[in-house]
Amino acid sequence: MSDPFAAAPSPSPSPAVAPASGPTREATVRVAAVAKTYYRDQQPIPVLENIDLTIQSGEFVALMGPSGSGKTTLLNLVAGIDRPSSGSVVVAGNDLHGMSERQLAAFRSRHVGFIFQFYNLIPVLTAFENVELPLLLTSLSKAERRKHVATALEVVGLSDRRDHYPRQLSGGQEQRVAIARAVVTDPTVLLADEPTGDLDKRSEEEVLVLLRRLNQEFAKTILMVTHDPKAAASAGRTVRIEKGALVAAPKDGQA
Amino acid sequence: MSKFLHLVVRNALRNRLRTVLTAGGSAFLLFVLVFMLTALTEMYAWEGAPATHLRVAVQHSTGLATPLPIELENYLRGEEISACAGHLIKLNWFGGYYQDRRNFFANFASDHKEWREVWDELSLPDELYKKWCSQKNAMVVGRGLAKRLGWKVGQQVTLMGTIYPVNPELEIVGCFTGPTPREEEQLFFRWDYLDELLGGRKVVGTFWIRARTLDDVARLKDLIDGHTKNSSDPTETMTEKEFGQQFAAMMGNIKGMIAILGSIVLVILVFMTANTVAMSARERVTEIAVLRTLGFRRSHILFLVVAESVLVTLAGALFSLGIALVLFNWLLLSPSPQFPVFLVEPGTIAVALGAAVLCGSLSALVPAIQSARRKIVDGLRYVG
Ligand SMILES: Nc1ncnc2c1ncn2[C@@H]1O[C@H](COP(=O)(O)OP(=O)(O)OP(=O)(O)O)[C@@H](O)[C@H]1O
Ligand SMILES: [Mg+2]
Repeated sequence: MSDPFAAAPSPSPSPAVAPASGPTREATVRVAAVAKTYYRDQQPIPVLENIDLTIQSGEFVALMGPSGSGKTTLLNLVAGIDRPSSGSVVVAGNDLHGMSERQLAAFRSRHVGFIFQFYNLIPVLTAFENVELPLLLTSLSKAERRKHVATALEVVGLSDRRDHYPRQLSGGQEQRVAIARAVVTDPTVLLADEPTGDLDKRSEEEVLVLLRRLNQEFAKTILMVTHDPKAAASAGRTVRIEKGALVAAPKDGQA
Repeated sequence: MSKFLHLVVRNALRNRLRTVLTAGGSAFLLFVLVFMLTALTEMYAWEGAPATHLRVAVQHSTGLATPLPIELENYLRGEEISACAGHLIKLNWFGGYYQDRRNFFANFASDHKEWREVWDELSLPDELYKKWCSQKNAMVVGRGLAKRLGWKVGQQVTLMGTIYPVNPELEIVGCFTGPTPREEEQLFFRWDYLDELLGGRKVVGTFWIRARTLDDVARLKDLIDGHTKNSSDPTETMTEKEFGQQFAAMMGNIKGMIAILGSIVLVILVFMTANTVAMSARERVTEIAVLRTLGFRRSHILFLVVAESVLVTLAGALFSLGIALVLFNWLLLSPSPQFPVFLVEPGTIAVALGAAVLCGSLSALVPAIQSARRKIVDGLRYVG
């Protein structure tokens, strides 16, 4: 078998060495006329209808809405782990429509950093190894990988926990490791699905500070699903979704 | 893919008890396989004689149990045969035992003259050979056999006859060595001594001739069997390989039976391992979806699941092979007196390792494909 990893793209320099560049305002995410319908026992379940959403490079957008409104579904479409029933999703110039599974995997590896509500670290790997995981898909050497992981762990303030296993970390620490894993490849966009949903007040604040810093200091483009208005306040802009459709956000851009 | 081996190993060690049980099960089943294959190779060891061997055996056409007339020796030493044959000895299967009938080993009454030329793969130092030639009740013993029975050079040993009504008292004058422990599990004493004990009846079991060339082997068969064809004692002249095959034929279709038993063992191995892999895969549905979210491809997931399964069965194989090699090849233990030695052959090791890889892969196939094909969103929403 040929090594399928060899073909994976290598990431650009690690986050810490790529601070905010000039305000190049180009669309990083462009969702146009997207609809998504699930089928359960041949019964159509329309989840998203006619969604248009554009996120500029360097933006931090919060996505809010009631439970079951389709937030996770929309995030998954942008992440390229699900396909829309109709409409188009373009991320970093890549039209996800018509991409093969293989191309989508390469796209995710190169452009997407995903942060889950329940961290989803691999329990048998240390913090270091968890963060290294996405880099294994690149052609980086072992030494280069080590350097990138060290940088990412430093950014999230967990350099001293590199050899700890997830069960030896608090929820907040686990989520910060997960954030390090999401940024270590220097992806084009960070997608976070209720990243503070499972955390206590203090950890929540730490994670939000971290995300703000990634956005402001390192110019990361972030789309974050949240139920919490306080979390949404960290974002530069809030988008609301209700019953599968975006609704006008009341006070746009308020911090 | 080697970058992912640490993940494979950690995954395998995640549920230690389960992994140890599965590897132990594989080890046990593969041990059974190795055991059966080794029994088979031992039973057919004679048959394994290289086809290029120059030795030919002359036995009575009705079978080994019928003796040959001593007069045949004159013909065999005559001009016609000497043109194709360099050396000749008389050899009788004595079939005796030492102290206990269950002590099975090969023992022969053999001409001592030309013994070294006919049995050229055995090596016996010159001075010991001379001693054997100078002393009628002397015998030479394979090194392994002597060690196994605790015999020392100079010791007197009485062999109890089963075929012949005599119990020769023999003195060990030396040990010979062979290319493998198998050749060292036999002994030779002098044919003229046996004949003396039997009162000079000149009973010949077989003649063994060393042909000069491979072409001479075929020529010898035609000459000897042609010469005796119309006599009262017709002969059958065979290569060493053919000689061995007549024993193999007596054992019936053991090969077929072992093939069936071996397949059953492997099928059990596949099902046992498949059960473990399926359990692990079910527990890791979310994790696999997370890996794929990070950019792992389907082929990576296939690799991770299959490699973990192969790792476990291979660990079992290495364990059982280690045990088998120590017991049988190193300590030279034999599971049954029927086998003087019980040597695990390189071919058997290769088969066991191959079976482990094959069964490991086969067991993982269905769960691996399922895991790789599951949609990521379904995996992330999955609640075990
Ligand atoms: N794979 C699927 N198959 C069938 N229905 C689905 C699937 N995924 C989501 N749904 C349905 O789509 C709707 C939207 O789900 P989604 O997870 O996007 O909501 P959400 O806004 O993220 O909700 P929450 O705030 O509870 O996370 C729900 O009714 C859900 O049951
Ligand atoms: Mg959701």
